[in-house]
Amino acid sequence: MDWGLAMQFQRLIRALDAFWEKQGCVIVQPYDIEMGAGTFHPATFFGALGPSPLRAAYVQPSRRPADGRYGQNPLRMQRYYQYQVLLKPSAESVRSLYLESLRVCGLRLDAHDLRFVQDDWESPTLGAWGLGWEVWLDTLEVTQFTYFQQVGGLDLNPITCEITYGLERIALFIQETADVYALAYGPEITYGDIHLANEREGSTYNFEHASVELHRQWFSQHEAEANRLLKANLLMPAYEHLLRCSHTFNMLDARGAISQSDRPRFILRIRTLAKRCAELYLERQKGAGAREGAFPEKKIA
Amino acid sequence: MSAHHRKKKEQQTIGQGQGRRSRRSRLPLRRSVVSEDLLLEIGTEELPAAYLPGLIHQLRGESETLFQANHLSFQRSDVFGTPRRLVLIVRKLSVFQHRPAEEIRGPSKQASYDASGKPTKALLGFLRSRGGQLDQTKIVPSEKGEHVFLIKSPSVVPTAQILPQLLPQLIQRLRTPKAMRWEDTGFRFARPIRWLLTLYGSRPIRFFLAGVNSQARTRIGRPQEPQETSVTSIPAYFQTLKRVGIILDQDKRRQRIQQLVQREAKRVGGVIAREMRSHGLLEEVTYLTEVPTLLAGEFGPEYLELPREVLLASMAKYQRVFAVESRGKLLPRFVAILEGKSARPNAVRKVIERILNARLADSLLFWKQDLTHSLTQMNEGLAGLTFIPLSPVYEEQGSMQAKILRLQGLSKVLVHAWNLRDPESEWLRQACEFSKADLVSTTVKEFPTLQGVMGKYYACQGGKSQEIAEAIGEHYLPSGDKLPKTLIGSALSVLDKYDTLVSYFGANIVPTGDEDPYGLRRAAQGIVEVAWAIHRPLPFQRFREVFTSEGWFPSMNLGNASDRVKLYLLERLYTFSWPKPRPTNDCVDAVLASSPDDLCDDLVDVMDRIAMLARLKDDPALVKATKVVERTHNILKATEFNHLQVDSSQLQDPIEIGLWETYCKQKESIREFIGKRDYAEATQRFGDVFFGPIHEFFAKVMVNVPDERLRRNRLALMQAIKTLYTERIADLSKLVLTE
Repeated sequence: MDWGLAMQFQRLIRALDAFWEKQGCVIVQPYDIEMGAGTFHPATFFGALGPSPLRAAYVQPSRRPADGRYGQNPLRMQRYYQYQVLLKPSAESVRSLYLESLRVCGLRLDAHDLRFVQDDWESPTLGAWGLGWEVWLDTLEVTQFTYFQQVGGLDLNPITCEITYGLERIALFIQETADVYALAYGPEITYGDIHLANEREGSTYNFEHASVELHRQWFSQHEAEANRLLKANLLMPAYEHLLRCSHTFNMLDARGAISQSDRPRFILRIRTLAKRCAELYLERQKGAGAREGAFPEKKIA
Repeated sequence: MSAHHRKKKEQQTIGQGQGRRSRRSRLPLRRSVVSEDLLLEIGTEELPAAYLPGLIHQLRGESETLFQANHLSFQRSDVFGTPRRLVLIVRKLSVFQHRPAEEIRGPSKQASYDASGKPTKALLGFLRSRGGQLDQTKIVPSEKGEHVFLIKSPSVVPTAQILPQLLPQLIQRLRTPKAMRWEDTGFRFARPIRWLLTLYGSRPIRFFLAGVNSQARTRIGRPQEPQETSVTSIPAYFQTLKRVGIILDQDKRRQRIQQLVQREAKRVGGVIAREMRSHGLLEEVTYLTEVPTLLAGEFGPEYLELPREVLLASMAKYQRVFAVESRGKLLPRFVAILEGKSARPNAVRKVIERILNARLADSLLFWKQDLTHSLTQMNEGLAGLTFIPLSPVYEEQGSMQAKILRLQGLSKVLVHAWNLRDPESEWLRQACEFSKADLVSTTVKEFPTLQGVMGKYYACQGGKSQEIAEAIGEHYLPSGDKLPKTLIGSALSVLDKYDTLVSYFGANIVPTGDEDPYGLRRAAQGIVEVAWAIHRPLPFQRFREVFTSEGWFPSMNLGNASDRVKLYLLERLYTFSWPKPRPTNDCVDAVLASSPDDLCDDLVDVMDRIAMLARLKDDPALVKATKVVERTHNILKATEFNHLQVDSSQLQDPIEIGLWETYCKQKESIREFIGKRDYAEATQRFGDVFFGPIHEFFAKVMVNVPDERLRRNRLALMQAIKTLYTERIADLSKLVLTE
């Protein structure tokens, strides 16, 4: 491995792709709708449901409108990259595979303090929860490591293990820099060259300009559309509108337009959609035309 | 699933087989070996720090219970826990199980055999579950008809043969607030079990659980470089851990961490911040590491501008590092406890410093942003904050804004009852008004535990007096053994909790059993603790009047809710941590049974009477008073009359005339002591005055005479004497005297 090249952000992604491909993962692509985390990608949401085994990995650009800091804070951004790995069923070797993947990225683990600190992960909008850890590298959370227990409010069997790497944070360690925008992305180009202007504009938009009125309307419209599509038995189109609901909710939240009393009701509306999508997916898996339509699961012999 | 169960069974059979083998191999042993030490190590992926104390406690308790129930004697057991292992050592566990003879009742004879005399499923199931055979049964008649009994003769079984079944049972009994599944047997535990090490003496015990076969192997090394190693004996196990620096014993680990951080703080001319010296962070760090290693560093002095509590919260929440102070002022330094030695500690320090600075920069941004809002602006935001969860029904009434209006209304009750004058009454009103302002601040959203504390800072910044700010700052107390220190803070603390209880009870959100998701039991306990500490009246009736007259929560029955809250608060008196001498339950019973509602109106007065009984328990004065109450109570128990009035013209016997005159003469002076709430003196007087005369009365005067009018009058006299005490102080007939 050529460490000099692996240090670049784009090489980091390729190193992880190569590593997890070797472990039998299908490398799927980012989903093309805004989402808060890689967990919303259909590969995870639907992939974790049902009995079929699955190994998948992918990058997912993730939107956290409320976390924008106008490009001023090295640890908080309104748009960043997650690298997501799914292993179903969770293998006993998953921990050692994860450690190996960090080494492959060029981290000298013996030089760091590495700890697994309790994190009871929960996504109330997806009706999903699991138990696991924040992985701390020198006290910075660089990965979420979760054994899913429920998705869409449904118990899982077998259990899926989800590993979510914070790519930028890991790159900071590999490149030994403090500034995320100074990270070498590729040859002669930094992460900041690509993302800094958007981070500033994005923060400004999320916090100052996003129309609350329009977003409220959009939320209701996407919700209505998702419901209509569910009735028409169109699973993925319905799910895509759920994703839009979820992002619209996050935008409203960043604008401070969601009061504490509104919050549970918004979340419940999204969760209701998530549950219906999960149920429809499982119904199809059971049915004859199981492999048509929804997320293409990868069978492992 | 079934394939998997088969696998499990096979494994267990293997385990049992080995047990049998071990019994054979045991024969040549000298007879003097009667016990061996047992080691069980449950190796896991990192257990949550908060679960470990509970798991350690359970493993000790459950193992002792299990071994005792299985007739296995031992000297003592020790339990240790780190993030990656739970370890049980049982010292001198007897090598044989001596099971005494047993007779176990099974199903009735009828249910055990069918018409043709064949054993039924019920009987066979019973035998299977108890490990018995048909030829070990007999039929025994009992009061409830004839039953099948399983008769087990005494037996001696090698312990090594039983352990493969007992140890999985033991692990299954451990419970945590949340548990998970991770493999296909569906076993549930706090985190995945990855290895099981069991040695009995130097012999491995084989069993299978949660997809893991027990082995004589353990895992050591830092989380990033785990190593497996075999273990030949229990002493060798401890040596192996010691060699790699693992401090297994949590108490020793805690001490070591304390020593490390204190020494480092001293080196830089300070001490560990007082809030972090014990409990919370120290406890958590103890269970986050097994090879605690020191690392110290600095942060930007510009962040010392942050309120102390925010700095400490940032440091503890995100990175679990300790703060250092000198003469009460924080230094721009931290002390961290890491897991094992890093190859490049300097690089690690730089990263930790950088992250801490970035976190503090964010906190400073929040703090400065919050300061741009006035208290009034913050209060406006409270309209959107829910106070009663998930209840759109209560809409505006259920908001925090409505709550602070109610608090101001309720404050009048305490202004009156506590005799507050200006400026105290105005301080209390304003403390109520701004008590919740901080809930809309970004800092409290980021650090919810700083609620109240931040309110204090915002109140100061907003130009409120110190008394108002302090009251806001301490109104979420008590917490642990910390109580509000100021009068206004105590008042606000009580009002806030009282309002929460009545509103939630009104919305039918009440604690049930162990479930108390909204901390209502804690709130009730808090009221009792604060009221007792401040020792000022808490008039239930006045609160009830305000709750029912202001038009709050029109859809609720607040009168009923107030009554339920009163009962709930009085029930807390059974579990309240009373000062010594601690009242026994009968003292609480006696006082709560004492008086009609309007006389049990002040919580603190009720508590005073309970404390008095506890102080005087078995004192001759109380014993005398109790005897008087008991004798009058007993004679009145069977009476058919309702409204008893003494008619002095009907008194006949000189003794009863004398008793009535004594009553009339002493009544007022006893009531006077009660009025002054000098319950001890009232008790003394009551016992002294009536003890002798009552005995004489019962010895010489017949109460239940055939003449109804006479009987009625004598009972009335008894009732008058009894209620003179019981109505106002305590129904002593409930008291259990020790003699």
